[in-house]
Amino acid sequence: MPKSDLYAGIGLMMFGLITLFVLIPTQTSDGGDASISPALLPQICAICITGLAVLLTMQAAGKLKRGKVAGQAVPKTEWISSAAVIAAVGVAVLLFKYVNPAVAAGLLVLGLMLYMGERRIYFLIGIPAFLLIGAWLLFYQVLGTAIG
Amino acid sequence: MLDELYSVAGSAFAIGNLAWILFGVTLGYLVGALPGLGKGTATAVAIPLTFYLEPLSAIAFLVGISKGSTAGSAVSAILLNTPGEPSSTPTAMAGYPLARAGKAQKALKMGLFASVLGDLFSTVVLILVAQELAEYALGIGPVELTAILAFSMVFIAGLSGRSMIKGLIAGLFGILISCMGLEIETGSPRLTFGLLELYDGLPLIPVAIGMLALSEMMIQIGQRQRLSDEADLLKGSTNREDQIVTLADWKNCIRPIVRGSLIGTVVGILPGLGASVGSFLSYGAERRASGRGADFEESGAIEGVAAAESADNAVVPASLVPLFAIGIPGSVIAAILIGAFTIQGITPGPLLFLENKDLILGVYVSMLAASVMLLFIGYFGQNMFARIVRISPALIMPIVVFLCCIGAYLQGGGTFGIGVMIAFGIIGFFSKKYDFSFVTFLIGFVIGPSFELSLRQSLGLVTDLPELLDHPVAIVFAVLAVVGVWRLSVLQRKQMAEMAKAETN
Repeated sequence: MPKSDLYAGIGLMMFGLITLFVLIPTQTSDGGDASISPALLPQICAICITGLAVLLTMQAAGKLKRGKVAGQAVPKTEWISSAAVIAAVGVAVLLFKYVNPAVAAGLLVLGLMLYMGERRIYFLIGIPAFLLIGAWLLFYQVLGTAIG
Repeated sequence: MLDELYSVAGSAFAIGNLAWILFGVTLGYLVGALPGLGKGTATAVAIPLTFYLEPLSAIAFLVGISKGSTAGSAVSAILLNTPGEPSSTPTAMAGYPLARAGKAQKALKMGLFASVLGDLFSTVVLILVAQELAEYALGIGPVELTAILAFSMVFIAGLSGRSMIKGLIAGLFGILISCMGLEIETGSPRLTFGLLELYDGLPLIPVAIGMLALSEMMIQIGQRQRLSDEADLLKGSTNREDQIVTLADWKNCIRPIVRGSLIGTVVGILPGLGASVGSFLSYGAERRASGRGADFEESGAIEGVAAAESADNAVVPASLVPLFAIGIPGSVIAAILIGAFTIQGITPGPLLFLENKDLILGVYVSMLAASVMLLFIGYFGQNMFARIVRISPALIMPIVVFLCCIGAYLQGGGTFGIGVMIAFGIIGFFSKKYDFSFVTFLIGFVIGPSFELSLRQSLGLVTDLPELLDHPVAIVFAVLAVVGVWRLSVLQRKQMAEMAKAETN
């Protein structure tokens, strides 16, 4: 954990400094006649995050120096599966925008089922179909709204 | 109070409302029973549905889901040794050995009875305490509110994770993110990056779905092999003997249930502690009281199941006390419920009892009804839920991801909402893996706007430091916040040292 804390601390320190010196000045107006600057709370947060990140980094560096490197790394399978889920949702959004909502939803569910090792054909067809029909009934027929 | 509750019974017991409560409890129980899915995921994903409901049905439905899923998580904990969420871990420790000894039905039944009793007790406390507390809260000014919110954040940051520094970073990050959108005084855009969609700020529901549900799916899909293996083990671990709860079991369990209900209720009222603290405290107390030592886990203990489940379920209704009375969400469920209240145009807090009293009373009656439904659904659906835990995660997880997308789309202004969900899914994944409390982040995000408003008002009221002396309550909470940072840091350091020592041994 100390190693990941060290990286997290450095990353958060950079995030805090960028927010403080780049994002807040460029993305916040000076407030004009406002009694209190609109940047006040974001600045307080960014300063505190930077300060706490410095503490976290120092704490982690101290632990590493003392040879404490114990802690569980994130398993490779979880990194891969996270990337797969994000990619599947991302592709589904593109299909939704440029092809068709039903195709996007169907392929999202089907893709994830295949990724998770499901090979039974009746489930691969049945579950996406059930979900699409269910969503259509719920949103278009019962609730009277539309998707897409 | 009884008269008031009776006066709203008509609307609470309307067929439509009861149907939504029943649907909520059943859905919650089902999701809770599935390994790897918890009440946060269930409630976050279901929120978009409430957009189309009456306020009472919407809140009752969500409360039903959270109650159902809390009780339902005992099913996978006892049968699969896989707690649906961390607060069911003690149930798995005491209940799984019983299931392996052929007493699964007994453990499941006692878990259900303890859940219902804990939940019912805590709901009654909520009904009795929240309104009284709200009357005091109405006298609180902006200076006091700023100090109370700061104290709550420190308290939550210190107790919801293993590191105070990380907890505070998570909370501050939540407040920072809540600053996106039009600024409250001047109406000028702030941190919007030129995106019109951000003018109203980041939408809570896609943020909550990303942080709670999508990130959990990313982790669970990575652990699919483990989940499948546990589902396979179940086939040889059930036994039809010892299927009932006997009078002797009741005699053994009534004390742990009473103690667990009390512990869970107190823990629930204190913001940030969460159900895990409640169930572990109650389980630990029962383990010590039994004097059985390690045998408690080796042979299993029905008293342990009763202690853990009563406390776990008592936390949920009690955690609504600070939400209803002061407007501070003390738990993830309470933070999500703020989203549901907002959808309905209602602001939780002390004014709720003046402006929407009938709604709150209706919610109380609905919560009591949900407790009764929980008992029936859990009891008569036990065999069905026991079978449902066998369903392969490869069929469940894609459905949950699909529902996440639908929810984020409906509540986040289209595909923008899905983008927000993905971004916060990634942030949630890292926060869970590297122990930055996502609970503190979400609560910071939710209370951010009220914190900013009260801070601005306070700065207008208190222009000189000596003027603070006119606000003794604020001084007390400010001092408590500082002392809290110091004491909780010391406590955490001690705990970490003890854990390191235990690991070395």
